[in-house]
Amino acid sequence: MHELIERSIKEASHYFQNFFIHDYGRPGFLHRVDARIKLLGTFLLVVLAVSTFDVTKILAIFTSCLVLAAFSGIGVLKVLKRIWLFTLFSFLIVLPLSISLRFEDVLYVLLFTLRVATSLTAIQILILSTPFNDVVYAMRGLRFPEAFVSGLWLAYRYIILMFTELMRVMLARESRRMTRGSHMEVWRKGGESLGLFFIRTFERAERVQLAMKARGEKVIAFKGSFSKLDKIYIIFMAAVTLWWIVI
Amino acid sequence: MHIPDGFLDLSIAAIFYIMSVVVVGYSILKMKKQEVNGALIGIVAAAIFAVQMLNWPIPGGTSAHFVGGALAGILLGPYAGCLAMTLVLVIQGLVFADGGLTALGANVWNMAVVNVFVGYYIYRALEKANKSVAAFAAGWLGITTAAIFTGIEVGFSSSFKYSLLTAVTVMGMWHGVLGIIEGVITAGVVTYIASMRPDIIESKAASPGKVAYGAIAVMIALSPFFAYAAELVGYSEPLENVAEMMGAEEHPIYEGILPDYTVPGLDPYIGTVISAITGVAIVMGIGYGMKRAE
Repeated sequence: MHELIERSIKEASHYFQNFFIHDYGRPGFLHRVDARIKLLGTFLLVVLAVSTFDVTKILAIFTSCLVLAAFSGIGVLKVLKRIWLFTLFSFLIVLPLSISLRFEDVLYVLLFTLRVATSLTAIQILILSTPFNDVVYAMRGLRFPEAFVSGLWLAYRYIILMFTELMRVMLARESRRMTRGSHMEVWRKGGESLGLFFIRTFERAERVQLAMKARGEKVIAFKGSFSKLDKIYIIFMAAVTLWWIVI
Repeated sequence: MHIPDGFLDLSIAAIFYIMSVVVVGYSILKMKKQEVNGALIGIVAAAIFAVQMLNWPIPGGTSAHFVGGALAGILLGPYAGCLAMTLVLVIQGLVFADGGLTALGANVWNMAVVNVFVGYYIYRALEKANKSVAAFAAGWLGITTAAIFTGIEVGFSSSFKYSLLTAVTVMGMWHGVLGIIEGVITAGVVTYIASMRPDIIESKAASPGKVAYGAIAVMIALSPFFAYAAELVGYSEPLENVAEMMGAEEHPIYEGILPDYTVPGLDPYIGTVISAITGVAIVMGIGYGMKRAE
């Protein structure tokens, strides 16, 4: 068990190092839209998708999301590749409800899954078209509390470093281990390693805080008026909402 | 435990958004007053994010992972711990689509409020007896309570057609078992830090107060409900299932005063409730006696 747990950390560390340096695809118009509007627009799409079980309304939002993905250089296939796992997971959770094979039960399972898929698509489009730094600046622009936004900004920036630190602690422990030891011994040593990791985290945080005070670092908020592209995005969202209401 | 979009009714999602905003907002205000190191929150949040990748396999081909809510509460104090966990959940939602946007309020409530505060106050209530046991109980009960809240939220939602009872029972039972590993990891980390850098943990110490006793009272009050729920879904001990499969029979040497958590001659459910109250009273009595002996 403990070997599996250790392996999961190593695999996760490699995965995230690659994940955080992934490209955001061929920049399309959506990449240049103000992150504040995209954040609110995504929230709107998700709300519209999950507030109904009407098949035409859900399909309208799903189609709108796919249109956005297709015309913004992200690509429909890329989005679908990223949503299939959670969608399948949601489908499997509600699948037993369709065991009666009654039409309304089967329809419920399909619509439930479609709602989840639509919401995930909207979020993935935001993720693939907006660097997280921009999301953080947008939050500051939307008047989220400074303590919250600066914490979020720091947490995001330090994730890779903390993974590396954790890997280092685990590697050092492995290199010192001469025998396999009993299960209790392995769990105890594992707890010590994680404890050491958190002590190092605290010490690093103190150094970072001092450096930030010395530099006077601050999260910059998105400000200013909206561009022509932003206005087109707003009109698109308004049209989708109107369509959702009318159909 | 992350609830995706589409599982909750919008009304329920909105209620939990409001409650979470109130608690997280209050936590930020408290942190400002206490002049908590701002970088600490962000960097510990990043560390918790990394440690959350500790996965362990569970039957059915899937896996569970460390959540760290109780650990965050013990290391940072409940308010900073709550904010750190909120940051982790926002990053997971907005970078990895793990947990929905409309469900973010509920996810924050479960993992950044319930898990952190319950874990913290359980630790503070028990730490004088034994720090390791206190941290284990905090990790285990913190995650289990959070899972029960998840079950309540999705169970009450009409969008999710499973009944409240099924959702709460499944979430509570699974995490009651899986939470043991969460408790072991929390205990290992806290024990080590308490021996090497006790200042980190002790600086967050505060009297448990009425909230802690209130939280524990609520959990005790809920426990008969889960006994009832387990009965409704036909839950039985895994060991009993194995014994039945193997054809083994029970031959007790001594039946005990309350055999099989029942009172002879009474309805089994009422007997279970009486057994639970008796058990809690005995444990509380011993605890009170130990405190008086100090």
